[in-house]
Formats: sequence, C-alpha cells, structure tokens
Amino acid sequence: MGYLRRLPRFEYLAPRSVVAVCDALAEYPGEARLLAGGTDLILQMRRREVAPRYIIGLKGLSELAFIRPQENGGVTIGAMTTVRTIESSPLIRERYGLLCRTAAEMGSPEIRQSATIGGNLAGALPCADFPPALITLGAQVKLKSQQGERLLPLEEFFLGPEQTVVGPSDLVTEIQLPAPSPLSDGAYVKFHDRHAMDMTTTGVSAFVTLDQERRRFCDVKIALASSAPTPLRAKNAEAALRGQAFTEKAVEKAAALACQEAQPRSSWRASRDLRLELIKSLTKRAIRQAWEKAKAPPDGGRP
Amino acid sequence: MKHLLPVSLRVNGEPYDLLIPPWRTLLEVLRENLSLTGAKRSCQEGQCGTCTVLIDRKPINSCLYLAVEAQDKEILTIEGLARSAEVLHPLQRAFAERGAIQCGFCTPGLILAAKAFLEENPNPSEDEIRRAVVGHLCRCTGYFQIIEAILAAAREMAGKGAQVGH
Ligand SMILES: Cc1cc2nc3c(=O)[nH]c(=O)nc-3n(C[C@H](O)[C@H](O)[C@H](O)COP(=O)(O)OP(=O)(O)OC[C@H]3O[C@@H](n4cnc5c(N)ncnc54)[C@H](O)[C@@H]3O)c2cc1C
Ligand code: FES
Ligand code: FES
Repeated sequence: MGYLRRLPRFEYLAPRSVVAVCDALAEYPGEARLLAGGTDLILQMRRREVAPRYIIGLKGLSELAFIRPQENGGVTIGAMTTVRTIESSPLIRERYGLLCRTAAEMGSPEIRQSATIGGNLAGALPCADFPPALITLGAQVKLKSQQGERLLPLEEFFLGPEQTVVGPSDLVTEIQLPAPSPLSDGAYVKFHDRHAMDMTTTGVSAFVTLDQERRRFCDVKIALASSAPTPLRAKNAEAALRGQAFTEKAVEKAAALACQEAQPRSSWRASRDLRLELIKSLTKRAIRQAWEKAKAPPDGGRP
Repeated sequence: MKHLLPVSLRVNGEPYDLLIPPWRTLLEVLRENLSLTGAKRSCQEGQCGTCTVLIDRKPINSCLYLAVEAQDKEILTIEGLARSAEVLHPLQRAFAERGAIQCGFCTPGLILAAKAFLEENPNPSEDEIRRAVVGHLCRCTGYFQIIEAILAAAREMAGKGAQVGH
C-alpha cells in the first residue's frame, strides 16, 4: 500500500436529519456509504477495499448522538455516540460498568474521540470489542429505512465478517440496553499485541447475575470476539455455570466448553491453536472478574 | 460529480474560506492548502499519532478526518499553541528542556494530545499519562523523557493555575 495514497473520489452528502439520511440511501441504492467516525471506513477506502460513489456524512447528525435513560430502567444509546462519550458518561458507568470499561480500553484517545458505537457494530469486524460486551448485556439494535423501523437482538445482527442484517438502505439508529438486574456485573477481557492500539486477537465478555446469597450463578452470559466469523455466544459454557456455585472446577469446565463452541481461524495475527488457548484462559479470567464485580457492593465498598 | 465544496475552517483562530474536494483529509488541507506542516503525515491509519490536531479542544487523527467535516469547528495545530515565538507553551518548553525531542517528528502530535489531556486531568499520574499518549509512536526518545516532560509541564501549569486563582 503506497503510504502517500489519497482517498478515492466520491460525492459528499450531509443530510441534516435521520429522515433525510434514509431518503439519500433510498435514492442511491448500493452506491452510497455511511461515514460515521471514519476510523474503519477511511482506512478501507484508502486501501481501495471500498470506493463508494456517494459518502453520506453522519457527523452532523446530533439527533443520533445521545445517551438517554428509559423509564423501564434501561438506557438507549444513539448510533453516533462516540466511544469517548460512552466511556465518560456517568449514567453508563453507573448502570453498565462493563460497557464503560470496554470503551475505555479501545484504541487511543484520538480514536475514541471519533469512533462511534454505530460504526463499531455496523462495521462488523470480528475483532470489534463492543459486540461481545453488548451481547452479554442483552442489547437490541434499531434499524431505520424509508420502509420503517425494526428492532432486533444484537445477537441476530451479525451474519459474517463485515456482514450484518443492515441492508443498503438501512441506517442503524440506536442501541437499547435493558435495565440492569441487581447483583449483576461483567468483565470484558481481551488480548492484543500493542496496548490498546492493536486489533483484538481474542476477547471474551462475561456477564453474571448472582443469587440472593451471592453464592451461585443465577444467570450467565458469555460472548467471544475474534473467535468465529461473527461474535459468538458460548451457550454451552453459560448453561454449565447456571445454578452452580463459584468454584475453580466450574469455571474450568465452562472455559473448556467455550473452546469447543468457538471456531477460531488462523491468521497472521494468531494461529487457531493460540486463539483456542487464549479463549480458554480469557474465559476463565472474564468469569472470575465478573463474579468478583457482581459480588462487590455497587459503591465498590468505599465508605 | 461536484468536485469542489466551499468549506470554512477556523485554524489557530484564523478563518479560512476554501474550495476543496470532499475526499481531501484535514491533514492534507492543513499541510497542502494552508502550509501548516506541523501536523505530520506518516501511517495514515490512526496508528502513529503524528497527524493529531485538536478539534474543539479534543484530539483527533487528522489523517482519518475529512476536511469538509471540520466545517465551522475550532482547529488547533502546533503552530497555534505558543503565544509568540518568544513565549512557548509550558509543554513545548518541557519537551525541549527534558530531551523529549530528538528528530521532532512525533512532537507536534504528542504535545497537542498532552494539552487536551491535561485540560481534562490537570493532576495526572504517570500511568494516566501513558494511557493518554498510547496512540503516539516515537522512534527516537524511548518515551521516558516524553512522560517526564508531560509530568513536569502538568506541575508547572497546575502551579500557575493555583497562583492565578489566588
Ligand atoms: C488505530 C485504531 C485502533 C482501533 N482500536 C479498536 C479497538 O480497540 N476496539 C475496537 O472495537 N475497534 C477498534 N478500532 C476500529 C474502529 O475504531 C471501531 O470499529 C469504531 O467503533 C468504528 O466506528 P466509526 O464511527 O469510526 O465507523 P466508520 O468507520 O465511520 O464506519 C464503519 C462501518 O459502519 C458503517 N456505519 C457507520 N455508522 C452506521 C450507521 N449508523 N448505520 C449503518 N451503518 C453504519 C459504515 O458505512 C462503515 O461500513 C480501531 C481502529 C483504529 C484505526
Ligand atoms: S498519520 Fe494519522 S495516525 Fe499516523
Ligand atoms: S523525536 Fe523522533 S520520533 Fe519522536
């Protein structure tokens, strides 16, 4: 790749509202690409992996940059909300520590300032960090087009590497998170080469809910990044822990099951065998950390 | 195709009215249209931080930012940081005095990132500084002097702030 390479040419549109974005997408079916933070798309365009005729810039769409508490105790996050905003939102920190911590560990401050949650999901890179964390939190995604709106579980959103249910005339508008239950928390643990700046080689998110006595796993959700063509729920591993007391043996068993469920591939970044090793140890670490966090009082035990 | 778009930029307090193609990055426009070559071009992939400038006081990689999208925003490059040629910003002085500059290629990006960071966190720990500049590569200094320079500047700026407050 020539390092002086400029971007391919395109025509630039900056619709002022969500409705106007949907109209623009409908007007140029298959020829327009949405540009959010650009931290994935600009790179892909420079490499000539994509060369859209029209770029629809979303940066000016303040309509989609919000974090809103819902009456049911949940929170809705607009697609154009940046990673930086999520990381520094008191509401997210209080209700979804897992999401806050995941955001804080992504890229550099510069990347987090531009990168959006909508772009992280819609880009559907297998190494993206938000999908596993959001899947374990039970997130739903809302899509909008001229035809109308649909809401679906994030788990059903991904179809393959860089492939999602988002059609050429769809816009991701928001991500909805259910109210957090008491005695629950999670951890996302990832492995990468250069701190924060390299793509995730393997990542595991675990979200656990404890029983009243804080002895057993009442509910467990585990999702993996870079371990299959799409972000993957490790459902057998989850089932093995549900109702169990926290013991090293139970954690070991769940990690072994997660390895069986994963289908990692070999790439220049890591071999399949290395990824399987990573999935095993990261799953254990994620479960242990999630357990400790869920058990601790929400104020962190500080007076 | 419409090739040229009118764009108004505010860079280092100066207004510029430009006609530019939409596929030009902010980095290209700063360097090639405005001759502000302080922001450097290197990886063009968000990895090295040499192109970092501040938009509305926040750091971004200008190699990944379309110039048309900086319309009406306040852009600060290293050229706009010092009050005058004689009075350097405390970060600039600390970098120069503590050996945090060798070839200087990484310096503009690092100083701007540090400036934005110290505004949010005027009393940082060493570890917080490391995390704040994680997006910057330096091939010369070995980073220690850079961390030290930022710490020293933070102390100086915090001291000044306290005096002004009195
Ligand atoms: C140096 C560097 C470090 C990085 N580190 C990390 C990391 O640690 N973890 C991580 O997960 N990622 C990382 N990334 C990847 C990237 O920053 C994230 O995936 C980011 O969240 C993408 O969001 P964006 O707004 O920049 O998306 P864009 O690049 O603007 O868009 C990405 C894709 O999504 C589509 N899209 C965007 N918004 C919408 C929408 N609302 N509706 C429909 N489609 C949409 C675009 O058309 C495009 O195909 C890194 C990238 C770089 C360059
Ligand atoms: S040139 Fe922009 S980050 Fe390297
Ligand atoms: S001083 Fe040369 S790259 Fe940092």
